[in-house]
Amino acid sequence: MTESTLFTLAFALYVLSLVVYFAGLFARRDRWAGGGLALAVLGFAAQTAALIMRTVSSGHAPFTNMFESLSFLAWAMVLALIVFGRTSRVPRLGPYLMLIVVALDALASSPLMPKGATPLVPALQSYWLWLHVSVTLLGEAFFAVAFVSSLLYLAAGDEEKKVRLDALAYRAVAVGFPLFTLGGLVFGMVWAYRAWGSYWSWDPKEVWSLITWFVFALYLHTRIVMGWKGKRSAFVAVIGFLAALFTYFGVNYLLAGLHSYA
Amino acid sequence: MKRVWKFLSSVKLAIVLIILLAVSSIVGTLIPQGRSAVEYTARYGGSLAGIFDALRLTRLFRSPWFLALLSLFVANTVVCTVTRFAPKWRRAFRQATEGDPKSVLSMRSSCRFRLPLDLDAARGSVERALRRRRYVLSRSLHGDKAVIQARKRRLGWFGSDVVHIGLLVILAGGFTSGLASRRTQLSLSNGQTTAVPGASFELRLDKFETEYYPQGGVKDWKSTVSVLDGGARVRAGTVEVNEPLTYHGVSFYQQGYGWTWDGARLVLEIRAPGDAASSRTVTLKAGERVPVEGVPGVTQVSVRSFVPDFVIGQGNQVQSRSDEPNNPAALVEAWKGEERVYSGWVFAKFPEFGQGHGTGGPSPRDANKIAVVLKDYTGAAYSVIEAAKDPGATVIWIGCALVTLGLFLAFYWPPREIRVVLETAQGRVDLAAGGQASKSRDAFQAEFDEIFASIRRPE
Repeated sequence: MTESTLFTLAFALYVLSLVVYFAGLFARRDRWAGGGLALAVLGFAAQTAALIMRTVSSGHAPFTNMFESLSFLAWAMVLALIVFGRTSRVPRLGPYLMLIVVALDALASSPLMPKGATPLVPALQSYWLWLHVSVTLLGEAFFAVAFVSSLLYLAAGDEEKKVRLDALAYRAVAVGFPLFTLGGLVFGMVWAYRAWGSYWSWDPKEVWSLITWFVFALYLHTRIVMGWKGKRSAFVAVIGFLAALFTYFGVNYLLAGLHSYA
Repeated sequence: MKRVWKFLSSVKLAIVLIILLAVSSIVGTLIPQGRSAVEYTARYGGSLAGIFDALRLTRLFRSPWFLALLSLFVANTVVCTVTRFAPKWRRAFRQATEGDPKSVLSMRSSCRFRLPLDLDAARGSVERALRRRRYVLSRSLHGDKAVIQARKRRLGWFGSDVVHIGLLVILAGGFTSGLASRRTQLSLSNGQTTAVPGASFELRLDKFETEYYPQGGVKDWKSTVSVLDGGARVRAGTVEVNEPLTYHGVSFYQQGYGWTWDGARLVLEIRAPGDAASSRTVTLKAGERVPVEGVPGVTQVSVRSFVPDFVIGQGNQVQSRSDEPNNPAALVEAWKGEERVYSGWVFAKFPEFGQGHGTGGPSPRDANKIAVVLKDYTGAAYSVIEAAKDPGATVIWIGCALVTLGLFLAFYWPPREIRVVLETAQGRVDLAAGGQASKSRDAFQAEFDEIFASIRRPE
């Protein structure tokens, strides 16, 4: 099987997983969620194989353009779902997270995104590309879990469900925050120092990842030290994920800077 | 003084500062930083640009008020870390003290039951069960009573302190860089030597190469360099993008490259049209006039000028669009004695144009007399290398390591604590136990239940 067949297969499995998840939700069959998760896991396996094949054939990490980094983010979000899907006792996490995964994959495969594995410009030829991008996107995938559960929290009425959603959002931030700090800020600084000779240039992308970091630092301090919970925490987590999204997409299109690759 | 201390130790201050830092950072990305006054006026109009300048929004991250905000952040972090440290230290490391079963049972997880054993046997059984789960124990004995304190992953309590210390170290590193870092761009062509600013040694470029992918596109820029100290070569190596070379605290980075066409060597082929046998090749520089033999009607040839990237600009003037050799062209003149018999631009990439279509200058009298082709051109690519000395960088890496370590300690290494009070009563032992974990409480509850189930019903 070729790499693009595997990508398509993964995408199809994700769509199927989404359909099964939502069918279960509307038909009020909780057990169908297991089927949704199983399909997502199969899709994850197919995409993992595709990512490996792409790495082998192009000889570099599979996240050098928007298509590659979007589909890696989708992959990382499925991984986060596998981590939290069963233990969180939040049946709605699966369907809504898969909705984002499918949307990201659809965006990645839209004709707007260049797909070919292109040769790397000199600045990107570094193993720090691996470390910086993969760990950052992994952290952001957990922020996406916090985002989904916070939105569900804001929409939920049932008190018991709310407690679980609130706890899940916090756990996801607690896993994602160290990863995002390490990948996005620390590895980014190390790489910038190697490539440009300066670890921090106040470039818009750098500053926006710092802003994202501030928002989640705020989430943790208000929660751990000041005892914020529930609605206020959920708002901060939603803002944090939106800041992460803006760092990822918005900065490239709206603000000019050094970081013009993806 | 006390009020200042109280103000600085408050978490509310930390939260306000985080919000202020985030908001000012957003402003700093919406207004492009460090541009010229003209650019701001063109962009925002005079009055708004004036306001931005007065508030230092155009150099926001170096402005006095932003630095004041950071200083307050430093003071706040120091005071918070100091005031919270002692209680945490006691919690993690103090010895087990007198235990009151009531306070133990008020912990988040708790249980109590009676064991048909004597005190020593009961204590042994409890300690074995806890040790098996890798708890570190401390105990105190008071006659017919024993208090056991069990803790694990104690460093997790200090995760946030390590993060905060790391942040302070990073800010110290940034401050050091801001004051002491020096960076200079050096432009070097092959064989050229230049003094490294702020250092006693010199840098020589031995060779500069651009590597291309087979399908086109630049693969790498590579400068082979030597470091010279007092004329002697003390270090040789290559500088590539992502692969700097460091010598005595100065790092050399491949920043870019450029072309210089002064004195470029040009190779021209000259012949009579339709007469391959008359073809002659000459090598010359722009401004030179050289003799030619064997081409009918021509005795000398000269090049008035050369451009690497030919384009007709405003007012029909010939210009070079860039320094890249995208469309190299030479204005060639041919002479018979002192009579100019040919004048025209010839293009390396479009040889068919070299048949005497003059652009600028007087028209050739007999354009079809000769044909000229620009066969080759050799400019010099020069390498742009940045020499940087940044004593703050090492400090930054220490800070980054601390922040990362602290975060993983705080979130991936959550401490757990169990306290057990054993009291002899009527020949048996009353056990009261309590425990708590800062994270993953479900998993802790499961562990707690298992430990005490195994004590209650030993196999």
